[in-house]
Amino acid sequence: MSRVIDGRDLQPPEPLELTLAALDTLPDGEELKLLLYCQPHPLYQILKRNGYVWRDEMHPDGTNEIHIRKA
Amino acid sequence: MHPDLSFDQAPPVSVPYRFFLTAPWFGVAAGLLLVIQGGDALVSRWTPQALMLTHLLTVGFMLQAMVGALFQFIPVAAGGNVWQANRLASLVHPVLAVAAVLLVLAFPSSTPALFHAAAGLFAIALGSYGLIVGIALWRTPAQGATILTLRVALFGLMVTATLGVVLAIGLGLQKSLDLFEWTNVHAAWGLGGWALMLIAGVSYFVVPMFQLTPKYPAWLTRTLPWAMLAVLCLWSSQLIGDGFVWLRGRIWLMGLLVATTWGVVTLRLQFRRRRKVPDITLTFFRGGMLSLVALFISALLFEVNPNWGTHPRADVWLGVLILQGVFVSVINGMLYKIMPFLNWLHLQRLCGLTVVPPNMKKMIPDVSMFWQMRLHFSALALMLCSVVWPILTRPAGALFALSCAWMGVNLLIGVKSYRQFKVQILASGAGSES
Repeated sequence: MSRVIDGRDLQPPEPLELTLAALDTLPDGEELKLLLYCQPHPLYQILKRNGYVWRDEMHPDGTNEIHIRKA
Repeated sequence: MHPDLSFDQAPPVSVPYRFFLTAPWFGVAAGLLLVIQGGDALVSRWTPQALMLTHLLTVGFMLQAMVGALFQFIPVAAGGNVWQANRLASLVHPVLAVAAVLLVLAFPSSTPALFHAAAGLFAIALGSYGLIVGIALWRTPAQGATILTLRVALFGLMVTATLGVVLAIGLGLQKSLDLFEWTNVHAAWGLGGWALMLIAGVSYFVVPMFQLTPKYPAWLTRTLPWAMLAVLCLWSSQLIGDGFVWLRGRIWLMGLLVATTWGVVTLRLQFRRRRKVPDITLTFFRGGMLSLVALFISALLFEVNPNWGTHPRADVWLGVLILQGVFVSVINGMLYKIMPFLNWLHLQRLCGLTVVPPNMKKMIPDVSMFWQMRLHFSALALMLCSVVWPILTRPAGALFALSCAWMGVNLLIGVKSYRQFKVQILASGAGSES
């Protein structure tokens, strides 16, 4: 089961704030799904620095679906 | 999808902030000049006071804000690496400020030494800035319409600066340049080639990202820089002869049409935004775009009706719409978004995952930005009225000075918030200074 944050209609940095808050309580082995219309480089740098891994998938409507979990 | 932001190569906040904090005070000086001079300042665009006002806004307010924004924008949005950004900013910022003051002081006195000193300082500051930022824009691996638009903007700045330096040297030597033509071409490259291209390039990021609109259509982003370059080259032909005199009015309208197309597309995108929440930057942007439309309609009416168009105050009307209406509005709005966002991102970098940085809305109080925005648009309305009724010039100048001072104070509050939160984060032991 994964938690979902739809940040597509949120103003920056709201999606990033929600994601960081969700990561705080994300259990090991669980995945956080983030939907955006961009590549959030600042988030990727934070994830890299704090031991998280992610994979992203671009949809035809421009949605970037990012799956995040602990490494 | 809006384009991507990278944060790996961003310079310290002090690099852009020194420019942002300086810009509004040139606006205050422009307003105070109107308070002192009254209605006589705006009888035509050629009075020394009108030239002082124009340059306080262009090489004072606008240039400071735009040069500072590009320092941040190139690494973050264009992936370019500005070599020694801190050192370059330490040179460019004070030199540009002093050059602007000297140039403004040169107009009423026509003192050759002031013109020459200003020309020399502008050449040093903009020459070094153009070279280093140009290399960063040239070498960036990023591609696309924004990069092209920013390259055209920088080229526009270099042409404007070269023409401006030649004009200042000519004025200092009291040589008989074709002042009217040289000034027209200098102004067109400055406003159309540099300033408009820069805010258009930045808007391709900022509008979809922060205002939650669809992205700009590719036909516009690909065509705009080339169309503007073509118009500017045609317009510049007046420097080499009178062959196109009969076409000048049409070339001028073509340039405005190109600019207004971008303005109308921006308004349409804003109308189609996905989440219709009130936003101060959005309202500033709308005010700027509506001023652009008003500018085009005014210029068209002046062209159709020469009785209006040849009135000396017609140019002043257009000048108020361009400078205060379009550029001051858009820059004011963008600064209110850029500064809190940069504060937040830099603080987040400091926090890591252990501490959540303060909300972006806590950086500058919304209510203070909102009332400053109302004052700005009131000052714009009164300034336009003062073109028709000169008795209103002093109150219009006072309102504008007050609005710019308030903007300056709001930006200072933004910097103070950044410092306070940074101290709190470091004191909590969560962050480490990099």
